[in-house]
Amino acid sequence: MTGTLLSVEGVTKTFPGVRALDDVSFDVRPGTVHALCGENGAGKSTLMKVIDGIYQPDAGTVWVRGEQVRIKNPIDARARGIAMISQELNYVPDMTIAESFFLGRLPRRRGAVDWRYIRSEAKRILAEEGLSFPVNRRLRTLTVSEIQTLEILRAVYHSADVLIMDEPTSAIAYKEVESLFAKIRALRAQGKSIIYISHKMDEVFEIADDITVLRDGTVVSSQPASEITSAQAIAQMVGRDLDHQQYPKERIPLGPTAFKATGLSSRGMFEDVDIEVRAGEIVGLAGLIGAGRSEVVRAVFGLDRLDGGTVEVGGTPVHITSPRSAIRHGLALLPEDRRLVGIVPDMSIKKNATLASLPKVIHGGYAHAREEERLVGEFFAKMNVKAPSTETPIASLSGGNQQKVLLARWLIADPAVMLLDEPTRGIDVGAKLEIYKIMTDLARQGRAILMISSELPELIGMCDRIYVMSAGRVTAELTPDQYSQERILTYAMNDIEVA
Amino acid sequence: MTTKLKSFDASRYSIFIILALVFVGASFLSPNFLSVDNQLNVLRQVAVITILAYGAMTLIIGGMIDLSAGAVMAFAGVSSVMVYKDTQSLLLAVLVGIAVGVACNLVNAFLVATLHTPAFIVTLGMMLMARGAVLELTQGQNVLQLGDFVIIGQGTWGWAPVPALVLLLITAVIWYLMNQTRYGRGVYAVGGNEEAARAAGIAVAWVKYKAFVVNGVLVGIAGVIFMSRVNAGLPNAGVGYELQAITAPIIGGTSFSGGVGTTAGTLAGALIVGLLGNIMNLTGVGSYIQQIVMGLIIVTAVAYDVWSKRGRTRTTILRSGRRGEPAAAGADPGATADPPASGT
Amino acid sequence: MKTPTRRTFTAGLAAAAVAVGLAGCGGVTVGNPGSDDTAERTQKDSYRVAYIARAQVDSFAAWLANEMKDEAKDYDDISLQVFDGQADDEVENKMIENAVANKFDAIIIQANNGAAQQPYIQQAVDAGIVTITTNPRVDGIEGANSVDANPYDQGGVVAKLALEQVPQNAKVVVLNGPGGNFHSTQRRKAWEAEFFEKRPDVEIVAEDIANWNKDEALTLMEDWSLANPQIDAIISMNDNMAAGALEAVKGKSAFDGILAYGVDGTPEATLMIQKGEMTATALQNAAELAQLNMKAVHDLLTGAEDEVNVDIGNPLITKDNAQKYVDLYKKAGLITQ
Repeated sequence: MTGTLLSVEGVTKTFPGVRALDDVSFDVRPGTVHALCGENGAGKSTLMKVIDGIYQPDAGTVWVRGEQVRIKNPIDARARGIAMISQELNYVPDMTIAESFFLGRLPRRRGAVDWRYIRSEAKRILAEEGLSFPVNRRLRTLTVSEIQTLEILRAVYHSADVLIMDEPTSAIAYKEVESLFAKIRALRAQGKSIIYISHKMDEVFEIADDITVLRDGTVVSSQPASEITSAQAIAQMVGRDLDHQQYPKERIPLGPTAFKATGLSSRGMFEDVDIEVRAGEIVGLAGLIGAGRSEVVRAVFGLDRLDGGTVEVGGTPVHITSPRSAIRHGLALLPEDRRLVGIVPDMSIKKNATLASLPKVIHGGYAHAREEERLVGEFFAKMNVKAPSTETPIASLSGGNQQKVLLARWLIADPAVMLLDEPTRGIDVGAKLEIYKIMTDLARQGRAILMISSELPELIGMCDRIYVMSAGRVTAELTPDQYSQERILTYAMNDIEVA
Repeated sequence: MTTKLKSFDASRYSIFIILALVFVGASFLSPNFLSVDNQLNVLRQVAVITILAYGAMTLIIGGMIDLSAGAVMAFAGVSSVMVYKDTQSLLLAVLVGIAVGVACNLVNAFLVATLHTPAFIVTLGMMLMARGAVLELTQGQNVLQLGDFVIIGQGTWGWAPVPALVLLLITAVIWYLMNQTRYGRGVYAVGGNEEAARAAGIAVAWVKYKAFVVNGVLVGIAGVIFMSRVNAGLPNAGVGYELQAITAPIIGGTSFSGGVGTTAGTLAGALIVGLLGNIMNLTGVGSYIQQIVMGLIIVTAVAYDVWSKRGRTRTTILRSGRRGEPAAAGADPGATADPPASGT
Repeated sequence: MKTPTRRTFTAGLAAAAVAVGLAGCGGVTVGNPGSDDTAERTQKDSYRVAYIARAQVDSFAAWLANEMKDEAKDYDDISLQVFDGQADDEVENKMIENAVANKFDAIIIQANNGAAQQPYIQQAVDAGIVTITTNPRVDGIEGANSVDANPYDQGGVVAKLALEQVPQNAKVVVLNGPGGNFHSTQRRKAWEAEFFEKRPDVEIVAEDIANWNKDEALTLMEDWSLANPQIDAIISMNDNMAAGALEAVKGKSAFDGILAYGVDGTPEATLMIQKGEMTATALQNAAELAQLNMKAVHDLLTGAEDEVNVDIGNPLITKDNAQKYVDLYKKAGLITQ
């Protein structure tokens, strides 16, 4: 076991009814980025939790720097130089930057917390990175990417040698991805190892030295990145060949204007936004995180306040005061944050699916259970939802299946205009393709779709037109002949570069 | 899409299994337990607290709580008694009892749903106000000589005690409301994830108002039955009932984090508590030991609930994010004003 | 735990007393004796007396407070202010301190918990203020006075009556007040010494705590009456619980002639005794307590007496004399029939 920083050998972990990990082995070499690929439910998270000490394996061993260890808990893991930068960044919003660096291990002097030391250390760490935040700033005022940076700095400061990054780019935009990768490369140069978990094949192949593919709790392959192609890796992940580049896009004859927003404004968020979508059209909304894309659709849908502007649906001006009225006017919003504003976790997938269409299943004084089952079953079959039963709580499904249930919710509600905010975020490759197919179907049915995405290939592959937003304004409207990643990025960073 | 159950889900029915065990165990412990008279006794005894428990369940499922139930029950019950003594109209008396319960809960609802004040604090305040009001109304003294008012609590219809019949009727109504109406779905959705419910077009505030009104009706009825049963208007009645009322739904599987719970579970929880109290009285177990047993049951039930959900998605952490401030700080209003970290 | 809280006397009596009281001196001040400066300090022909009541939610305490206010009106030279101790030692102690600081001429204290209030009562005595403890008496304070009912005697008079009435080899149930409550334990002691020790033939088939409450006694008796087909007597430490237990066997022929003993003499119990439903009780009379308190405070302030330690009587109410008490209550407007 020499020559490796971290080794996992024959690890097996079972939960009631599921064998999450089955005889899993892989090695992490010092000074490398080791990518861990696999669909949701393949066992990546379980494996990382074993390494982080959250789960104890039923069988198998973990070696750190050639020494066989039993990692009791995350604190123990950190003491051994292993740090997890988790997918859902767990942080206390009201904590200051300085505090967050020392959370769980506040230095003390004569029994009292040594705040002066904490602040000066934090200042030094930030300065070394060329960051100029006041160390007393609260975390809630920072962006996801900034917090992620802080987490990495914190792990490195506490002398972590192995950093586990679970979907680190799922919540940050292109430009920030580049700076994240720069950081990862710098860490690698210092001899640190990174375990990098991601669905995004292009990212994986850009950054990884070694790639291990997991499927159904077992290791399918583990090799240097140079010895495997992206297509092979995906085939191994899904267990079948899948041309991931192929977007199921169809040109559909466009109908009349279904959705028209003029001069939308919300103070401090966005200004003077005009958007138009025709029936059967899929329109993209590109931009960096913080450009105001989600804010626009949230406000249109009545989730947030709109300070100015008009919205027309099907040619009629509508006044939207709440999501309820938006739905009544034929709008639907698939939210960016599935867990916060999408699913009702403990509710069955069936009831989640019909939540926006209750009058369809509960009328005449009682709930029509058979009707509801039929309605839901029909959509689920079409969308290939994988679940033991429609009575299963939605929280127990994978992200992709949850997203399909939420899509079904809106299909049952039968809206004319669908606002999809990052519809494929955190979803595995197979499920992504299925969601694209559903979108194509929706367009074919004559619905208007406005889609926000941070994945440019997806926008380019699926959209009939793309609006680009930057700093709260629409900076470009592109047609397919003008599409290129570079051009979109240029417009997306327009104002920032100028400023 | 398969629709058949994967296997017999024991945890779903465990509460009913425990109820059956208590029932069978009790019938061995006392020869009197199984008598019809005793079973009717139990139904009479659990009626008031179970009716309150349905209100508590509704609110807890909806992500709220009512600490004022005991005090409002006393206020409603005593008001009802006083109206009866003045008018001799049973119908009017019952309606006034319900009206007082609803009025207090509308105040709760206004503060919780419209002004977004935490239910815990609001209903704590209402507890003090309602208790103060009923004490002021009676100057701390019991109201006596209720006359025919007692038939609600002590009367029978055929062989069935009136409180037990009222309880059955209310059980059916609550089951119907929770399972067969849009209101019921709304309560589960709002308690399960308020933001998601709103985004799915549920009128969140309206649902909360309705839940408090349902609670108010139940608390009012419970007050009328209570006073009628003891044949007096007791201004000190129901001290601590707000917590006892929470016991049954919690034992019956209602989750304190909201969105989860069933009418049948709550009824089973109430019956378990009632039957245990009954069998301990029948066999002469003193009240000190009874308290220990009840405490153990509550702790066990909640611990089991938590244990059986281990490893499930931790949604409560995410729920702490406030409206307009999703957990992912990308949509944070501040983010548009501030350039990204790396750009500074 | 020793908290001699009681809410024994749940009479409608006070409702009327209050009606009178309200007309005169308004409601009870829920506030701070120390922050009250309405009375003239120097004017010695008007004595300022503070009455610190245990709790307004306690129906007997509420009744007593109202009687005190009523009674005080008969004394031209006494101005009485009533404060609510809110059944909380902390609040009650603070109110005693403040009353001392505000130099009241006399303080009457209805302790929430004698032991907890003792040092504060001592402060009042040490400050040279006329101090009376009442319902309950707080012992062991040099220089303090007291006016009380004797809970042991209250239980005792009823127990002595029961000695003659309870049949040979009877089976009885016993209902107690909250665990550790002074009045409940004293009354129970009296029953033990005056009745159970002298009647070894009597069997207690069930005994439990019903916390002075009518509803809890009702539930207990519902269950007990099923487990025990023969119960000859209900022995309760207050009238409320006795009435609740009787409610449970009302109309059940098997318990037709059941005997029931309480303490307090509430209007409800008095009526039930008159109708023959309940057997006997001992009256704890708030009006009498108030009378003696006011007389004692006046005597002490004017120098007519140096020290007062008195008990009110414990008149027994039975079917024979119930009419007298019913008439009294009727005259006071508390029984309307």
